[in-house]
Amino acid sequence: MSLLQVENVSKHFGKLVAVNGVTLSVEPGELRAVIGPNGAGKTTFFNLISGFFPPTAGRIVFQGQDITKIPEHKRVQRGMARTFQVTEIFPELTVRENIRVAVEVADGRRLAPWLSKANRGRLEARIVELMEMGDIAPMADRLVGELSHGDQRATEIMMSLALNPKLLLLDEPTAGMGDQETYHITKLIRRLHKEQKLTVILIEHDMRVIFHLADRIMVLAEGAPLAEGTPDEIAANERVQAAYLGKEHA
Amino acid sequence: MNVATDTALSRNPMGTGSRRGDHIATAIVWALLLTMPFWMPFVGGYTELAIRIVVMALAAMALNFLLGFTGVLSFGHAAYFGLGGYGVAMTIKYLVPSTPVAMLVGIATGTIAAMIIGALIVRLRGVYFAMVTIAFGQVFFFIAFRWNTVTGGDDGLSGWSRKALDLGFTTIDLPGSDKAYYYFALLIFALCVGAMALILRSPFGRTLIAIRENERRARFLGIPVDQHIWMSFVISCFFAAVAGALYALLSNFIDPRALRWDFSGNFVIMAVLGGMRSFWGPLLGAAIFVALQDYVSSQTENWMSFIGVFFMLIVIFFPRGVLGILKRSVTK
Amino acid sequence: MSQVLLFNIFNGLIVGAFYALMALGLSLILNLSGVINFAHGGFLALGAYLAYTLMPYVGFWGALLIAPVLTAILGLIAERILIRPLYGRDPLYSLLLTFGLAYVLEDVSRYIWGAQSVPFSIPGWLTTPLSSQFFFLTGYRIFMVILVAVAVGGLFLILNKTRLGMRIRAGTLDLETVSVLGVNVRILRNLNFGLGIYLAGLAGVLAAGMLGLQPTIGTSLIMPSFVAIIVGGLGSLPGTLLGGLLIGVASGVTTVYFPSATEAVMYIMMGLVLLVRPRGLLGEEGRVH
Repeated sequence: MSLLQVENVSKHFGKLVAVNGVTLSVEPGELRAVIGPNGAGKTTFFNLISGFFPPTAGRIVFQGQDITKIPEHKRVQRGMARTFQVTEIFPELTVRENIRVAVEVADGRRLAPWLSKANRGRLEARIVELMEMGDIAPMADRLVGELSHGDQRATEIMMSLALNPKLLLLDEPTAGMGDQETYHITKLIRRLHKEQKLTVILIEHDMRVIFHLADRIMVLAEGAPLAEGTPDEIAANERVQAAYLGKEHA
Repeated sequence: MNVATDTALSRNPMGTGSRRGDHIATAIVWALLLTMPFWMPFVGGYTELAIRIVVMALAAMALNFLLGFTGVLSFGHAAYFGLGGYGVAMTIKYLVPSTPVAMLVGIATGTIAAMIIGALIVRLRGVYFAMVTIAFGQVFFFIAFRWNTVTGGDDGLSGWSRKALDLGFTTIDLPGSDKAYYYFALLIFALCVGAMALILRSPFGRTLIAIRENERRARFLGIPVDQHIWMSFVISCFFAAVAGALYALLSNFIDPRALRWDFSGNFVIMAVLGGMRSFWGPLLGAAIFVALQDYVSSQTENWMSFIGVFFMLIVIFFPRGVLGILKRSVTK
Repeated sequence: MSQVLLFNIFNGLIVGAFYALMALGLSLILNLSGVINFAHGGFLALGAYLAYTLMPYVGFWGALLIAPVLTAILGLIAERILIRPLYGRDPLYSLLLTFGLAYVLEDVSRYIWGAQSVPFSIPGWLTTPLSSQFFFLTGYRIFMVILVAVAVGGLFLILNKTRLGMRIRAGTLDLETVSVLGVNVRILRNLNFGLGIYLAGLAGVLAAGMLGLQPTIGTSLIMPSFVAIIVGGLGSLPGTLLGGLLIGVASGVTTVYFPSATEAVMYIMMGLVLLVRPRGLLGEEGRVH
């Protein structure tokens, strides 16, 4: 059974059709990339999956259950986590505190007025584990807002991972990064995908990142699916080349 | 309390940045509060003024629970403060001549009102939230103002007084002694402030700070943000109602002004003046505000112009509050 | 009885028109600049008092023309000096600043013109009833309704037909884009603020002729204006207009049957509207930030 099935979803903003009848199905353990020229509706598509806003038409099924109408936080509770194009973190808290909030919420303790000693130790261990996994343990007690772009992104990814997601949505994880940081984040995503058997959907601009990571690629153009296939198939696809080259080299 | 939990509250209490500094600052605050009736006369104050500072500080800290630690601006907290006061006054006057029973009624009234209104407004954010809280605050003002027969209307509700506290083995003479009432108020203040600090250091409290920091991220960590803001609003109004109850008991009197928007504004300015990112900031802000109000209104008729200019000066020159400035100069 | 009811509905409509005039100004400023202008009532009072002072020299009509313009100029200055530095900061600060400014304006009015209400005379022919049966239909009331209608019509004309108006509307939707397109956002916000204050001044002159003039006139009108915005629809000017008229009429009708709830009724309406439509009657659905 597919982990995620998106069936013919559309999103209209007034007269503007941002996403037009997109269908997608993602298998457990897969790393799927969504690419497309600027304004192709990639982020809108992500927002529909994650519940940022409801689709105008279509259906979204996650782990066999229709989630089209449920609010974002409930999708998270069912195992869907995401990051954003512009890193969304808690800037005036430390790295450790950022991760802690995520770990406690994931442990079902968002309303807890206190923690027992045993729980505190267990959660603390989990926080450290996550920080080490994301290579951010060395700056554990620094404010996230003061860190480099790459470390902020790593923190955001590790916060999402703290939720034990079955599906991780990454919206341009290397946007605005230099080569060094891009390499670092790409490596992190690859490692999480391989070691944690994590299913990932990824929007990306950087073709090197995509061809390094993705199992399959979906191409969106003007809100509609243009092509789908393995990286090699997509690279050879003439319509994709036309869409891309047409836009970017015109 | 482990190290990491302290950092969430942060850099907070006195904003000295270090844990040890925070503990020292906290100790100084309590030492000053515990001895206030004794040193007040030497700085030109009196016990009633000390009580007013404690009461207003509780209201400002209650507001700051929402403003500073959840990032939500309410400009209508006077409503719940005043309801606490009216609940006390009406209970003692018409129902049961007992201080603790009256306080419970007052606090329950304010809290229930907050639960209902909170549910109506919790989907709004930012300026819109502030505006709706201002508007809703006025409902209770008009009820108190218009319902003469029960509330005393514009003249307020007098002809009642706080009752002695019967503990079984001894009786505490609250009505007869200002000092006794000061320590009673301080005890309540301590319980409330302690409770707020504990909540803020709990996993639940961390979700509130998370919402302040970045609502979108909080939402996508699976936190139902509206629900948490509602809870924070109700908790905040609960403590505001406690302060209002103490306020009515202080002067054995309550009038509609305690429900009005200018009181709400005062609570906000106290929090901002002291420093809204720090736990103790509103206490400092309340002390400065109440002392200044006491002094200026004894000197001039034009309290309104004075307070108006005072508001503007704070916004322009001290937006981070006194403790915010101290914190900056310490870390630099 | 029905005549009393009719009188109160009509009266409510007029009061509602004041609320709307004031609330439209508030809405303009809130939508473009994210500032809740607490001092709006203070400017309204200023407009009324300026008209009162000018009247012996230029007459009622002259005052009606000049006073709102003078008020708007004061508004432009206040925005330039006090509010502009606060754009881009937490809206808390502009709210506190205008809150303080409201105090100052009220106290200044009291200092200059006295705490007692002053006689605000309107031309005699406007005060005579037009019909003996409908005694409440004085010329002044009719005139006010017409004037408010003209002012509102003028506002929507400005917003829809002039370059300034179109920029204001565009800026409300997407300030960043407007600024990228080369519009000077600072001047736009300044003029928009002035426009809002002009409406407050106009409302002041009209209100003084009907409600009498004392320093607290502004404070008594600002809360209903907030309610009008919330009921009518956050971010929507037609909604604000509708909201003002609705709560005016609702208060008018309540006066007949349950006088002590005259003020409370608008807040009850607000609660009911929020329960069903969190963004108000004509507000866009969705989360409000």
